[in-house]
Amino acid sequence: MATETEALQHSGRFRLKAIKGRAFEAILIVATLVGLVALVMLFGFMFFDAVSPGSASAEWYLLFFGTLVGPVSAFTLYGRRHPAVRSANARASAAVFGGLALSLSTFVVLKAMSPYGPLVYLITVGSLPLAVAAYGRYTGSSYFVGPAMVLATLLAIVWTLGSEVLLVPLLDATFELGNQLLGGVPVLGSVPVPVDRGLLVFAIAVGLPTLAVANSVLRRQLSLDRLLVVVAVLLLSAAGTSGLDQLLRPYLEPLPLWAAYGGVVGPPVIGLLGLVVTRRRGLRSGLVAAAAAVGGALAVAVGALTISVNPRLLVVLALGMGVPTAYVVGETVTTDPDGRVGVAGPFIIVGGILLGAYIEQSLSVAGPDTWVTPTLLVESWDGLFPTEAGAYPSTVGSIMIVGLMALMAFPVGVGAAIYLEEYAPDSGWRGRLASVIELNIANLAGVPSVVYGLLGLALFQNFLDYGPGLVFSASATLGFLILPIVIVSAQEALKAVPDSLREASYGMGASRWQTVRSVVLPEAVPGILTGTILALGRAIGETAPLIVIAVATATSSAPDGLFSTGAALPLRLFAASANFDPAYRTGVVAALAIVLLVLMLTMNAIAIIIRNKYQE
Amino acid sequence: MSQEDETELSSLKRSEFVLRKERLYRQLLAGCALLTIAITAGIILALSGQALVFFESVSPIDFLTGQDWSPLSNEPSFGILPLVSGTLIVVVGSAVVALPVGLGAAIYLSEYANPRVRAIVKPVLEILAGIPTVVYGYFALVYLTPILRDGFSLPVLPEFIANALPLVSEFTLVVPGLFPEVNTFNALSASIVVGVMIIPMVSSISEDALSAVPDSLREAAYGLGSTKFDVSTKVVVPAATSGIVSSYVLALSRAIGETMIVVMAAGESPKIPTVPNIFDNFTASIETMTVAMVNIAQAESLGESVTYESMFAIGLTLFALTLTMNYIAELISRRYREEY
Repeated sequence: MATETEALQHSGRFRLKAIKGRAFEAILIVATLVGLVALVMLFGFMFFDAVSPGSASAEWYLLFFGTLVGPVSAFTLYGRRHPAVRSANARASAAVFGGLALSLSTFVVLKAMSPYGPLVYLITVGSLPLAVAAYGRYTGSSYFVGPAMVLATLLAIVWTLGSEVLLVPLLDATFELGNQLLGGVPVLGSVPVPVDRGLLVFAIAVGLPTLAVANSVLRRQLSLDRLLVVVAVLLLSAAGTSGLDQLLRPYLEPLPLWAAYGGVVGPPVIGLLGLVVTRRRGLRSGLVAAAAAVGGALAVAVGALTISVNPRLLVVLALGMGVPTAYVVGETVTTDPDGRVGVAGPFIIVGGILLGAYIEQSLSVAGPDTWVTPTLLVESWDGLFPTEAGAYPSTVGSIMIVGLMALMAFPVGVGAAIYLEEYAPDSGWRGRLASVIELNIANLAGVPSVVYGLLGLALFQNFLDYGPGLVFSASATLGFLILPIVIVSAQEALKAVPDSLREASYGMGASRWQTVRSVVLPEAVPGILTGTILALGRAIGETAPLIVIAVATATSSAPDGLFSTGAALPLRLFAASANFDPAYRTGVVAALAIVLLVLMLTMNAIAIIIRNKYQE
Repeated sequence: MSQEDETELSSLKRSEFVLRKERLYRQLLAGCALLTIAITAGIILALSGQALVFFESVSPIDFLTGQDWSPLSNEPSFGILPLVSGTLIVVVGSAVVALPVGLGAAIYLSEYANPRVRAIVKPVLEILAGIPTVVYGYFALVYLTPILRDGFSLPVLPEFIANALPLVSEFTLVVPGLFPEVNTFNALSASIVVGVMIIPMVSSISEDALSAVPDSLREAAYGLGSTKFDVSTKVVVPAATSGIVSSYVLALSRAIGETMIVVMAAGESPKIPTVPNIFDNFTASIETMTVAMVNIAQAESLGESVTYESMFAIGLTLFALTLTMNYIAELISRRYREEY
């Protein structure tokens, strides 16, 4: 037997087979490496040109490793052995760096738009649902609050954004379409629209909600307090339609600028903090925490004013980064003795950077001759001096476009996924409709992005008669583009929730919506977030549809509102790549490309971290 | 008695309210889902509406068979053939890069790589699909084209190390230019980069298809004395053909619709391909359908002209083409799916 195998092994045929197999494996490895090498080349070339790491002195590298890389990797290694430390580190890093990113983005957007406009939006959109919730609390019957809050929010959005930019263009477009359609009919085509346009908008925007509320409230029983509710809705809609913006603005303008910034950032952050603490520790602690946050922000503002520093940025940072950091650190230190050390993680990174920068300054160590500098993000474009060239307007535009897009696409996408996964039946016309919708979503995901640009162009410029390249049209166009991605990933997340949870919830008498809201959605949140972040990463780099809807490629002023001309980072990169001056071509532009790549990679990394953390 | 009645009544009302509330939420959510249909309808209406206006002034036959594309000249001419052939060149070029590489990577990841390697390599490859296309375009224009033409030299070590070690101070990595005749704007670098971009589409979807082949098939083949090579090429790949082919079709449909890379790197000179020297088409500048659309969109103050509407006609062609390909991919993966 043994000799037989040996003979077989020595036969040429067997050896040939072995060589063939090995060659095949080598070819496969090469094929896999092609992709990886392409990735390395892409990053490598741009990184070397943008950062030129070779130009830094040996001292600088020593400093870099000594203050940043060394401590951070030591801490990471320590965290690997102590899971509690690692998870505390992750929480604290999320609070510090997430808070930093969000507050800086909010700050630049508020700075570009002036904070009074957003403050008006916040007050009008926020106060109506809150009023509904308060009314529900007051009457002690909470069962209508949920749907009423949803409707109130929708209504408030239509009022604040709506009458000027949504209803009027929509009515205009409908009239025009009607005229075109009726144009062929001899008599009807020549009949002018009999009513004043503004009046019609007013009637629709006030009448519809009032009638709807009256129908639902008064149908059963006519009483004074119910009548009052209807009157309140009538008055509110009238005020909203005639421009709450103009009504409220004069009262808000006297506020100092820093207070307006705080007024926009504060309520959501402090409200969230109060809610979270209340849920964990009771109402009293929640109120104390909220009061402490308000006090802290005021203290920062007053402190900055006394040393005559402009407190705008500090207030935003205190609220957006300080509050979540304080909460996470405090919570971890008091409740998690094992992981306590972990909260130091982000501070080691920040401290290392600051310390390194300080030593670099004071000893004048020669760092790398890099193009990736703060100038790139805080200055406008300079066509003559490459060292002065930055992409501030485009950065602000990108943040506004992608932020607004997320606000629009996320609820719609998740809603559609919930309908398809939780509500749509398998059979009947509704089931057939659902399968048509799913097929349609798969097809939409394959439509080239430039075609979405044509949709945006036709919808916003031709149909609604908006100006070219507005922030709003750009957001909506990109929203259409990423909607299929959001829906499909949310569907995956919902599918992964085990049916036993749903059945348990139904078994306890919960309705379908209650089950979705309190059982299925909380389980699916990490998966939904993963998909959404990936979709945002895609949207940040999307260029072609923005060119088609005529967003300015090279602009020197940041957009100052949702209905002003937009700008975006990838468009700046596109416009600047045609420059033949090597300082731009392989300097500033390479740095811009690196910024885009790092943004995309960070988002992918966050998504992967969330997925891995919750997959277990 | 009366109080009992009242509570019963209120609970009845309440449950009716709950029903209405449920219906409201269902309708809101269904509205979200229906919006996707509205988007498709919007795309079709927008494209066909403007394209119909365009076809009033240019006959569809002239549009589809014309060999000259010059929409911005004084006597505009709208023949889509040069654009279609430009797109075809890019698709062929990217297919040459992506299809074998993607399939090879898929077979390696599914059959040869150990789970830890796969867990790292697959997401890393997928990064390629997430890189903004404008960055790819910039890379193709500013880095790849000069490399193809002139080659490149790369100092391997940072200056201070190189200075410290006199022996290696001259050590640089030098690669000669392989295609000295390429234009500044050329189809070659654009299609290579488009190919790299679609590698993960091929590799990921094919890998899923290969992994879905049940182990019993592999074990049966091993039991008959097959080598790993035989199992991979003669059992697993044939069993997963439908998935692989549909990944190919999807990736190519993505390549057809790709815009920024081609806009930035392939130029804007529409031409009918030269036939005997096929490779000349790659070193020259071309124009694809997507590039033509972006060019028209960028040309300012066109108003409602024929040129402006021609953009929608191209868009309609592109939409129809990609929709058909996606539908074919869906059909293949559904029709020829092996049921195990």
